[in-house]
Amino acid sequence: MASVSAGASAARTPSAASQGASHPSAPVPDVLREAVAEASRQGDAGPGTALRLLRGSARAAVAVGRRTVAVAALAALWEVLPRLEAVDPTFLPPLSEVVVAWWDLLLSGQLLDHTQASLVRSLAGFALAIVVAIPLGLLIGWYKPLADLLNPLLELFRNTAALALLPVFVLILGLGETSKISIILYACAWPILLNTIAGVKGVDPLLIKSARSMGLRPLRLFQKVILPAAVPTVFTGVRLAGAYSILVLVAAEMVGAKAGLGYLINYAQFNFRVPDMYAGIITISVLGLAFNQLLVRLERRFSTWRTS
Amino acid sequence: MKIRFQGVGKEFRVRGAERPFTALHDVDLDVRAGEFLTLVGPSGCGKSTLLDLLAGLAAPTTGRILLDGVPVEGPGLDRGIVFQQYALFPWRTALSNVEFGLEAKAVPRKERAERARSYLDLVGLSGFEDRYPHELSGGMRQRVAIARSLAFDPDVLLMDEPFAALDAQTRESLQEELLRIWQKTGKTVLFITHGIDEAVYLGQRVAVMTSRPGRIKRILDVEFDSREGDLRADPRFGEYRHEVWTLLRDEVAAARAEEAVSVG
Repeated sequence: MASVSAGASAARTPSAASQGASHPSAPVPDVLREAVAEASRQGDAGPGTALRLLRGSARAAVAVGRRTVAVAALAALWEVLPRLEAVDPTFLPPLSEVVVAWWDLLLSGQLLDHTQASLVRSLAGFALAIVVAIPLGLLIGWYKPLADLLNPLLELFRNTAALALLPVFVLILGLGETSKISIILYACAWPILLNTIAGVKGVDPLLIKSARSMGLRPLRLFQKVILPAAVPTVFTGVRLAGAYSILVLVAAEMVGAKAGLGYLINYAQFNFRVPDMYAGIITISVLGLAFNQLLVRLERRFSTWRTS
Repeated sequence: MKIRFQGVGKEFRVRGAERPFTALHDVDLDVRAGEFLTLVGPSGCGKSTLLDLLAGLAAPTTGRILLDGVPVEGPGLDRGIVFQQYALFPWRTALSNVEFGLEAKAVPRKERAERARSYLDLVGLSGFEDRYPHELSGGMRQRVAIARSLAFDPDVLLMDEPFAALDAQTRESLQEELLRIWQKTGKTVLFITHGIDEAVYLGQRVAVMTSRPGRIKRILDVEFDSREGDLRADPRFGEYRHEVWTLLRDEVAAARAEEAVSVG
């Protein structure tokens, strides 16, 4: 029966065949098509495979090339311009010198110590922000009276730059770790909080209606519909917060720190160790990049169901 | 009678307007147990409001709705709804979507999966259990939604223009399928549509609504000697179709006039 109807729908016009997927007794052609696609994806589809592989890897190489060409150009310019004295090499030493300085810092163990100090602060602030902001955001997004009450306050603070408040934090919490972690916590909390609120508020009303029609009470509705629906949006906030945790870090470490990449950059500048300064800058941007990549991957994992 | 609407009216308060908006006025309608009743009316006549009231998602302003003689007071698993936009949970697979209502009903986990599987099979989707909604075509999504509503075994199936978003071929095949499922399960079906053909093809009776405020204008009994072959080519299909069309024509004109007034 199934094969007959599959044949019948394939024999019709192409448009009819493509409708076959939703024909009552014909999920078969769809399965078949899937199998064919799978087979060709795995590359065991007989002749021409080697050629296809070759073409595939060539395409991959081009893609990688396209993505690195701008960075390579920047590196080349950074190397060449100071050497030609088009820019003053005292203030911008050639990249190779910076790399050597970076290597020396690494070998002496200093770089590791600074990176560790920075990472501990960043991650502590980031993690605390997640712990504080997600539940708060869920609460504000779900419970409208609370949202009405807090909204003006949220509007005020979200528009106040975190760094503008750094002196306040230092004043109240002192120069130690507490104020540094607090300012990172503060900066990270906002994107998480606002995205969580948006995620909860943005749940498709039809899904809520559908769940309500099946007799779900508010608490179960929250657990089974609101929460899972909000996860991708919440995670977007978490990813943004990850970036902030590194961005704010440097500024936080410029005041009263004895270690950390921000301290390293600042200290190197004061002592006119310009290559060290650039080495610190490069380290922090690589750190930020890596952290972001990690979070992007996690985000993708948590929202595979999102329609692409 | 399975379902009774008795003098049901629904008004909405509209922001900025002095008079409330009357969506439904004095609706009387009886649906027999095991019947397939289609409800057809011009757009904006309150069809969907009627369904919301029966689903218990909103309360009528006047009158009452009885289900097995008991007034409807809230949503419940004795009624299953199928929406036009499927309303599947995108983070759940097809199987897990069908299990949703069973979770709400506190069916044990193992039995849930078994039942969900059998209902997916009923709608012709075995083999697609692990697909997410975005990996399915519109027609398949609606099949999942139908399976979900059937799985918790409601007495009544409420369908709100479920096939309106589908292309013509998919729609026809799903209509056929739905009739098969209805015959097999013996559910009472209240099917809302704005398509005359669909109403005549599916319904044992077709209830025609007036334009806003919606009331039941007429109920037509639809009977064919045989449902074999191309029903739509049957001369009686054409007669029924024309009858509903005539009943609706004035209402559609009235709805247009109303719209023109409110816009102008």
